[in-house]
Amino acid sequence: MNSPIIKTKNLCRYFKRANYEIKAIDNVDMEVKRGEFLALVGSSGSGKSTLLALMAGLDAPTSGTIMIGDSIMGEMSPNELSSYRANRMGTVFQSFNLIPHRTALQNVELAMFFNNTPPDVRTEKAISALEKLGLSERMDHRPSDLSGGEQQRVAIARALVKKPDIIFADEPTGNLDQEHSNQIVSILKELNGEGITIIMVTHDLELAQKYSERIIKLVYGKIESEEQL
Amino acid sequence: MIFRDLVTMPLGNLWRIKLRSALTISGVMIAIGTFVAMLSFGAGNEQYVTEQWEKLGLFNTMYVYPLREDSDNDTTQNATLNDSAIVSLALLPGVEFAYPFASFDVTAIIDDSSQSFDAQALPLVATETKMFSQLKDGRMFETDSAQEVVVTTVFLKEFEIDSSSSVIGKQLVLSVERLRLDSAVASLLRNSGEAVRRVFHKNMLDSLKQTGYMRRIMESELSQAANSFSDGFFNSPAIISDTLTIVGVLKTGRGRGRLEPVLIPMATAERFYSGGMSNNPTELLASVTSGSIDFSSSSKIKRNYPRVTLQLDRHTPFQTVKDSIEALGFRSFSYAEKFEELSKFFFYFDFALALIGMIALTTASLGIVNTMVMSISERRREIGVLKSLGASERDIKILFLFESALIGSIGAVCGILLGWGVARISSAVVQFYMAKEGIEGIELFVLPWWLVLIAFAFGLLISILAGAYPAARAAKIDPMEALRTG
Repeated sequence: MNSPIIKTKNLCRYFKRANYEIKAIDNVDMEVKRGEFLALVGSSGSGKSTLLALMAGLDAPTSGTIMIGDSIMGEMSPNELSSYRANRMGTVFQSFNLIPHRTALQNVELAMFFNNTPPDVRTEKAISALEKLGLSERMDHRPSDLSGGEQQRVAIARALVKKPDIIFADEPTGNLDQEHSNQIVSILKELNGEGITIIMVTHDLELAQKYSERIIKLVYGKIESEEQL
Repeated sequence: MIFRDLVTMPLGNLWRIKLRSALTISGVMIAIGTFVAMLSFGAGNEQYVTEQWEKLGLFNTMYVYPLREDSDNDTTQNATLNDSAIVSLALLPGVEFAYPFASFDVTAIIDDSSQSFDAQALPLVATETKMFSQLKDGRMFETDSAQEVVVTTVFLKEFEIDSSSSVIGKQLVLSVERLRLDSAVASLLRNSGEAVRRVFHKNMLDSLKQTGYMRRIMESELSQAANSFSDGFFNSPAIISDTLTIVGVLKTGRGRGRLEPVLIPMATAERFYSGGMSNNPTELLASVTSGSIDFSSSSKIKRNYPRVTLQLDRHTPFQTVKDSIEALGFRSFSYAEKFEELSKFFFYFDFALALIGMIALTTASLGIVNTMVMSISERRREIGVLKSLGASERDIKILFLFESALIGSIGAVCGILLGWGVARISSAVVQFYMAKEGIEGIELFVLPWWLVLIAFAFGLLISILAGAYPAARAAKIDPMEALRTG
């Protein structure tokens, strides 16, 4: 339970511009324990989303290492990295990132396209995930026909349907009102209760304090503080 | 990814952009249609020629000729195409039978009208070959000595006979002129006998002192005698006539090889050779130079032939027979050999036609590139999502390659149908105008299975090549950048 599922060491991510360099992540050493609900907080531009993308394998660090279990992410082959994203992790974004021309069910099914799940099993699991999130009546609706909260629930269903070890949630409540924000984070908390590690980026400190177990605050790409709740 | 997803996902994407997809597919369809119609024309021509040659048995026919005079083959320069040579040729491995091309001038009289023709003596066995199977009416003769004759449509045309069936059963009087030694001697005796006798008499009696004068007298008298001999030889020919029944009319025309207008059974024709020499100067000269001159009227005539036709076993390579013929000191001509050259021509012809289709296909491929590049720039966020869900670069590349391959496949299938439709319409128009000219239906457009396969493969290949660059670009899209900027 307490072994680290993710560990970073001297993690740096710099973005080069014409005349200067942005240090989005600067020498970050941190650990995420298995089954933990971790909140990354900070103001805009603090590097919290970049740190999340690095841990999710969606971006590559400038230097430093990220360990997923016993594997060093930088040493993984492209196929191993894709397999990690396809099987062991799920992502939830602020802007939902659902495919607009696909129905809710098809969007959830899409998460299992790349881990060789047979089509009938895919549909079965997607229906089950949507039902779990109270969307059984909205399965055949396209994202444009769903509310923001419903779209985010579809996104969470898409993240959890493959039973990942970790869910990376990047500002999942950023586009939602307070009521829906609480609803979404409650769902994440519930999933965390089922053993899924949750790493959530948010600028809502109150929400973080209410649901997470630990809060890491980033300022200009560095860890400024860490609070165990 | 499973195969079903690789087909359904790109299909869904193409369906979403129906107009753009339809236009791009139309480009491929027109290009493949052009390609198919062009090559269908090439294939149709090749098939027509092959069928005609096959129908006439030309692939099994080989002609043998004496070596040309300018040939530098010293060991075989005396080989002549006579009856014994024909026996040798017939015994060669792979040769079913051999028969000579024996032709002579005849005068044909039918219904009080007469015309001069070349006649050809033909053994019965030759009439069973495909070459002589194109009968317009009647039949070929039944035996080598039958009092029968087969004529060609050229013969009918010369006599201005419209109906081929009307001549069947009619009597045809054939006559040939033969040069005879006896008529020459008779002429000599008739005109110059006394002069010659006188010359020889004086020659014996007069003294040697008068030699110069006597030589002049002899020269004058002998010259006069020689003139009388040649006058009798050339101007008093024997006329050999026979009446034969017309039993068949053969078609002549395109690709039917050389057929003389009058065809006579071999043994029947030999009667026309007997009793002297041909009055045909070329034939006469050939007989003199080859030393085969023979004035006998009773025995079988020794002849040298300009050409011998060999009927080959279907499974014998022509090169084997050709080598054997050359070893005997003759040269040969084979349609099978010529067909190899013709095949090369058809290859270049088809290639030129295909090139036009390929140019259209290249243009269509640019349309595919354009559609795919636009599609990728519109679907950057989707690509980012797919990558965040676990799609590898390879998965993305394959997805987009499948999409362009689908454009190519659908375009190729429609293009094959379009090309075939255009070919059918063109064929109908060509046949309509040919029918007006009295030419029987010739199919110049065909769609062989290999053309369908090649057209489909080209469509697919070009579309995959066209999709390769956009697919590679899609695969390289940075997921974070795509998710952030969309």
